[in-house]
Amino acid sequence: MSRHARDVEELGIPVVATSGINIVSYALGYDRTYNNGMPIRYVAFPFPIAGQPRSVHKAYVAGKDQLTGKPLMTAVIEALTVPLTDKEKMTDTATTAQPQSEPRFLTSDTEENLQQLFKDKEWTDYNPIVLPTEERVKKMLAATSHKPDEVINTIRFMPGNREVTVEKVAIAAVMAGAKPEYMPLLLAVATRAPFGNSTSSMANTIIVNGPIRKEIGMNAGTNAMGPYNDANSVVGRFFMLISRTAGDYKNNVNAWESLGNNMQYNSMTIAENEEMLPQGWDPLHVQMGFKPTDSVVTIGTGWTYISSLGEVQPAYPAHMLIRDYMRSLSALGSAATIFVDPTVAGLLKDVNGFTTKRDFSKWLSGSVEKTVASYWGNGVIMTSNMAMAFQGLEPHATWAKLRQDSPDSLIKPFNNPEAIQVVVVGGAIQTTWFVTDFRVGRGVLVDDWR
Amino acid sequence: MKNRLLSNFVAAIVTLLFAAFVTTGYGADEKITVMNPAIAGKIAPRAPLSPRLDTLEGKTIYMVDNQWGGPEGAYQLLEEMQAWFAANMPSVKVIVRRTKDNMFGDDPVLWKEISEKGDAAIIGTGQ
Repeated sequence: MSRHARDVEELGIPVVATSGINIVSYALGYDRTYNNGMPIRYVAFPFPIAGQPRSVHKAYVAGKDQLTGKPLMTAVIEALTVPLTDKEKMTDTATTAQPQSEPRFLTSDTEENLQQLFKDKEWTDYNPIVLPTEERVKKMLAATSHKPDEVINTIRFMPGNREVTVEKVAIAAVMAGAKPEYMPLLLAVATRAPFGNSTSSMANTIIVNGPIRKEIGMNAGTNAMGPYNDANSVVGRFFMLISRTAGDYKNNVNAWESLGNNMQYNSMTIAENEEMLPQGWDPLHVQMGFKPTDSVVTIGTGWTYISSLGEVQPAYPAHMLIRDYMRSLSALGSAATIFVDPTVAGLLKDVNGFTTKRDFSKWLSGSVEKTVASYWGNGVIMTSNMAMAFQGLEPHATWAKLRQDSPDSLIKPFNNPEAIQVVVVGGAIQTTWFVTDFRVGRGVLVDDWR
Repeated sequence: MKNRLLSNFVAAIVTLLFAAFVTTGYGADEKITVMNPAIAGKIAPRAPLSPRLDTLEGKTIYMVDNQWGGPEGAYQLLEEMQAWFAANMPSVKVIVRRTKDNMFGDDPVLWKEISEKGDAAIIGTGQ
């Protein structure tokens, strides 16, 4: 909204931007400072806006501006007609905007006070951290060939163009309780920081493949997703900490997830159980074109996971129940990631005939159906895809038409099997699985960070 | 008996002190220096607003829904604002539009149209 307003203002047209008070608060603070730079004038409605009936919108327009308390339409008119203040005409910082500075070291203090400081600064998950003394950070830095001042990622979301260096990664690694041998993996993970941050309450998954899994003792077997392994736990915690420190995530300042997401504590960090893959089923990184001997970390972004709860029933096998449960997912980008126990993978291959992971993905793509009304009933789908329908892009245009003409029609929203991943993890204790909506990005080669 | 209790007590205190030392490595009042995990953000270059209008009477206002919250998110709200102008300032011409793309996209064609045919703009979201 602020970006669009700026684009129009730059063409010489006065603009007032309107939104719910929550978004306006962000726009006036963090967004203006680090992203937009233009003192856009705002008028704020009560929240929520989308999904409200016309009678509520009519009342909003007849009501008060949530920023000034003035009648809303008076505020709109004034925003477009009241002459600019000197501050609103200001251009002198346009060429002199400088980075804020952060000292390399914090002021010395007691351990107790420093633990509290890190919490007060919102640099932690509110569990104790290992304090990053220079000595501890140096040990971490010794575990990679990369120089401490090398910039490995520039975080633009949230804005601020924060340059993440190897040293900052090492600091967060110490805080998380990492061992030095985790550093190459943590550096690779940090290239994908920060974690998902949206009003819709996002989460991530971190999937590790290749030799690094064993080198650092990751758990791909029993309890891989639970709190039973140092590396799984610490790597997931590191991703959260680097997001909050380097990403500067602050509650209600630039992290405004309505419910939040509990998975952000650990980002479902696992290793794939490559040793128990059925013959013909490739590890995730090999599916992406990496060599089996490469160490790779893949990060997925989503919101949801659903458990099968119990064991597979032969009368209604796993692939059919997975298909059914996937109807609950949004199908944004056709994405899903299915985590299956090795026993389930074995059944899917040997009993149900899916000779490769890709076969299974293709079957799911062609089998999962949901009503077109349900599909468009998801706000993220509506926000992301309806614009494509307006532009006539298929299949969205057809699905948008069906929404009007025949809302109970069934569509196959997972129309891209390449976006449906299958990951084998677990200890062969029970024939269970999880269906998730994680959309995975391209894997990162850990070996580049040794 | 008394001696045994005393020695147990002393042993417990020593154990606790040792455990505290092993856990933290620092005394309660010892000052330590740690590295800063924060990264400085770069302030956005500031840009001025364009001049305001003297009045909206007789002017053309574009109202644009940028489709955050879906195409019906802010559109209906903008229609209600349009209705307010029709009832209270009928000389104002209001054109309600949606951006071509979703909230993440841009719409330079629409911005150009606004600069050529409009006098002011209201840009809204459904959030």
